[in-house]
Amino acid sequence: MTSQTTIDYAKTDVFTEYAIAADPHGFFEYLRAQGPIVPLGNRNVVAVTGYDEGCAIFRDDENFSAINTVTGPYLPLDYDPHRPMDEQIDSCRAQNGYLASIMSEDTSAHEKSKAILNGIITPARMKANEAYMYEVADQIIDEFIDKGRFNVVTDFGQPFAQLVIAELIGVPEEDRVSVRGMAADPNQMPGNLGGGFDMSANPLARMGMQFYGYVLDRRANPRDDVLTRLCQQTYDDGSLPPPEAVVAVATFLFGAGQDTTVQLFAAMLRLLADNPGLEDRLRAEPALIPDFVDEALRIEGVTKSTFRYVRNRVTIGGFTFEPGQHVMLNIAAMNRDPAKYEAPNAFNLDRKNVRTHVAFGRGLHACAGGPLARAEGRVAVERLLARLKNIRFDEGRHGPANARQFQYLPNYSLYGVIEQWMEFDRV
Amino acid sequence: MVKITFVEHDGQETEVDARPGLSLMKNAVAANVPGVLAECGGNCACGTCRIYFDAEWARLMPAPRESEREMLDYWNEEGEGVRLSCQVPVVEDMAGMVLRLPESQN
Ligand code: HEM
Ligand code: FES
Repeated sequence: MTSQTTIDYAKTDVFTEYAIAADPHGFFEYLRAQGPIVPLGNRNVVAVTGYDEGCAIFRDDENFSAINTVTGPYLPLDYDPHRPMDEQIDSCRAQNGYLASIMSEDTSAHEKSKAILNGIITPARMKANEAYMYEVADQIIDEFIDKGRFNVVTDFGQPFAQLVIAELIGVPEEDRVSVRGMAADPNQMPGNLGGGFDMSANPLARMGMQFYGYVLDRRANPRDDVLTRLCQQTYDDGSLPPPEAVVAVATFLFGAGQDTTVQLFAAMLRLLADNPGLEDRLRAEPALIPDFVDEALRIEGVTKSTFRYVRNRVTIGGFTFEPGQHVMLNIAAMNRDPAKYEAPNAFNLDRKNVRTHVAFGRGLHACAGGPLARAEGRVAVERLLARLKNIRFDEGRHGPANARQFQYLPNYSLYGVIEQWMEFDRV
Repeated sequence: MVKITFVEHDGQETEVDARPGLSLMKNAVAANVPGVLAECGGNCACGTCRIYFDAEWARLMPAPRESEREMLDYWNEEGEGVRLSCQVPVVEDMAGMVLRLPESQN
């Protein structure tokens, strides 16, 4: 499927239209031309494309609730101006289990979940896990290197992300086989076009019971792993969180880092294939690989849009938000704001401010897995470049350079491909 | 409210009416202190919320946990007068405290 036809954005619904999911930037530029914050005119959504404006909203958890991060405007809540806002948000959350994860929590409940994650995934600790990441990357590359081609999503990204997070968290060796191959159906992910998705169909979300067993075991038999550290964390008042609270955070952590990281690998390989000379430059100057990872996150990041729900009337960037509105924070557009990034649509390995991108969000809900995702991205590129060269698209699958074809995630939150076949020569 | 002053590397000052109980980082971010980036939102995972102060204030702060010491070490910060502002809650006795910020957080 291609998206060559021009779209009349004024008449198109971003929450249902595949053509925008496939090529979101035309839509974002259409919005940006109208200003950094603009009402969409449907579903009570206000869209943000400005970097500074979006960061101000990310930081303001008093006026903006995170209850709609996974549903966007399909939040099952009809705002009633005559009832207190907090009560409406709380009862909506109580009735919908999937709105109770750390990503959708607010203020004190969120602070408690964050206390469980505090200091768990840090750059220093990722360094300590590096040896395992290298080992896993090489094992997975061994599986396809003789074939001369691979599907980045299923042959490399998914097994790599799954095995790394399983090892890091401390999923027992004997359960790893069942973990491998566990992937969400691309049509059942949060952010699915049309708003319908079935969390119970998501194998990752079904791991709760298994994690409950692990948590009880670690409380009784501490080990040197993330689960044990999660179990030993205390709330600010010194008390020990109940096992359910640890299970909720651990399970979310396990699931959150998979599709996102897989799409980061896919994006990096597209950039390598599209930029002749880049492979050689990164091989010659491996110290640039971390910047490559961040520039890939900026320009091709998977987290296209996230959401906030307006609690109180508040003015930001000259725009007055009203209670009950859905704010669509278009991360991928903020990352290409010309007020922040020079020539924002161009891939540029030498950008000085590349690390300021908001692919991991910002503020109190910022990604807890950033240091892990960055480490995985760096290790993946290092090992792929050490063993493969002339990485190029499989044109039988994806067509020639001027007419590439991909099947994209049918999703208004995540941007990515369902499969991506690459060919290569051995180094 | 507790008056705390954040001083940027270039000397620019922001006086913050800080709310006790909340972290120094949360208070700084709410008051738009430019030099507190806080990329990870207080997970003790980025180190972009570093603050410097005269050692006398350290007694008002809880001892750093191991993960915070590792994070400071990662940024080659040492000594009594540096902390991650997301790991330090504001207390009433901090009134009048002056916190300095690094030239760059990242
Ligand atoms: C390239 C990979 C990744 C990207 C682009 C990404 C992006 C994001 C973004 C944008 C948010 C914030 C959403 C919002 O504020 O509405 C977020 C939250 C989160 N991410 Fe990631 N993520 C990635 C990988 C990971 C990994 C590997 C993990 C776990 C190990 C993870 C765990 C989390 C958690 C727990 C949250 C919720 C934090 C909170 O609400 O306090 N992520 N991620
Ligand atoms: S905000 Fe990231 S370590 Fe303090």
